[in-house]
Amino acid sequence: MSDELSPHIPDLDLITFYSEKGTSLFSRISPWTKALMLVLIVLFVSLDKSLILAVCLYLIVLSLYGLSGLPLKKLFQWYTMPIIFVLSLVVILMWNEPGNPIFSLSMPYVSLILTDNGLLLLLTLLFKSLASVTFSLFFLMTTRYNYLSAMIYRVFPSPIDQIFLMSYRFIFITLKMVKSMIKALKSRGGGLLQSIRKQSKMFSEVFALTIIRSYDRADRVNKAMEARGFTGKYVAATRIPVIGTYEYFTMLLATVLMIYSIWFVKLPF
Amino acid sequence: MAHIHLPDGAFSVQWIITWWIIALVILGLCLYWLKKVKKIDNKTITLAAMLTAASFAIFQVNIPLFGGVHMNLTPLIGILAGPAIGGPIVLIVNILSAAIGHGGWGMVGANILVNMTEVSVAYGTYKALGKINLDTFSRAGIGTIAGLLFGSVTMILIILISGIQGVHQDVQTTLYGLSLLTAVNMGVAIVESVVTGYVVSYIYRVRPDILREAIPVAAAK
Repeated sequence: MSDELSPHIPDLDLITFYSEKGTSLFSRISPWTKALMLVLIVLFVSLDKSLILAVCLYLIVLSLYGLSGLPLKKLFQWYTMPIIFVLSLVVILMWNEPGNPIFSLSMPYVSLILTDNGLLLLLTLLFKSLASVTFSLFFLMTTRYNYLSAMIYRVFPSPIDQIFLMSYRFIFITLKMVKSMIKALKSRGGGLLQSIRKQSKMFSEVFALTIIRSYDRADRVNKAMEARGFTGKYVAATRIPVIGTYEYFTMLLATVLMIYSIWFVKLPF
Repeated sequence: MAHIHLPDGAFSVQWIITWWIIALVILGLCLYWLKKVKKIDNKTITLAAMLTAASFAIFQVNIPLFGGVHMNLTPLIGILAGPAIGGPIVLIVNILSAAIGHGGWGMVGANILVNMTEVSVAYGTYKALGKINLDTFSRAGIGTIAGLLFGSVTMILIILISGIQGVHQDVQTTLYGLSLLTAVNMGVAIVESVVTGYVVSYIYRVRPDILREAIPVAAAK
């Protein structure tokens, strides 16, 4: 579905298909274990300063993703967004870092020098970002919606949990609505670049209609839910699989390995 | 949207925790206001959920301008829902974005602060300009530009205060680099302000009740 909107943005329908299929070994692991591993990965990339460790972490996470039978080709397409995010800022900050010059650019008033440390900064942040993004998608694509909703219900206070749970369901409806409106726009000759003014106005009206229809749908959904006894509490009562003994052991091992590799292993870069 | 487009690992752990704590305090204030002052009802919850979904869905649309632009329309959330409901919405949009392909879980706290600035300034400017009888398009457009400008300033402050791990530039050079980024961001902000202006004026024409505003009799005719 999002394929037609933007192929470089992860397709929610495909993500849901894999998460509900649940055939991989990792789908049977407790969602709490995967959530805690995500926290551990964020901690690791925040403490780590080495490119080699960042690459190792990325390769481990990529292997987990591949072993789960998730689509690798799609994953590389979806990397466009995080790569753009890293480049948009780091490309500005990587210049004139102390180190051995690799490339220099002289312009009036400005002299830009790219050093080995500048390049290391870019690569390190890039691999850290890809490790975090890949594990997030792995987590989503190997965890059933029922479990995710029960986790949201337990972690977030009211009314954030209520808004979160409802919005996750509404996203699919809204995406379908946006898709059909964009299709209607394109079939009438819109969507092609004509002028910034026309283009902005056309897309704005699509966005405005999305909001108006969303508002009306929200009103209808609310009335329908109230008629069925909704009192403002949307309960997600699914029992989440508990963390198994071997999962505790894996997490402990991962934590020890993280501490050891960050503080005790000396790497060249 | 002036997101902090930094990946996990760019900020040190102490700054990740600091920005998360400040963001949670602000979210706590939003929740307090929603529960104790506004007494949030079921309809508002459903509306906030729909607005979150709409914001997320709109982000998926690639607008073919300048090679492709994506928008979250955060100032629009501010104008339509106000800062108190805007708080939970930006939290959820940021978490969903981090989960679905953006990454940057550690940056969510800092991003909430940037987005809350956008939401609050856009809402405040839009309401303030209403007192001088400016047309809806201009009010929404100016509100959006102001929101995104202040959002960018907040982003620069957060980055300057936290520092980026592995960057050894002095503050002045970093500020220079970030100012360049803000200039580019403001280019996109102009497109976003025009889009928001059109969206709000369209809603004002078709469904003014959504904006909780009455159309003046002369304008309605």
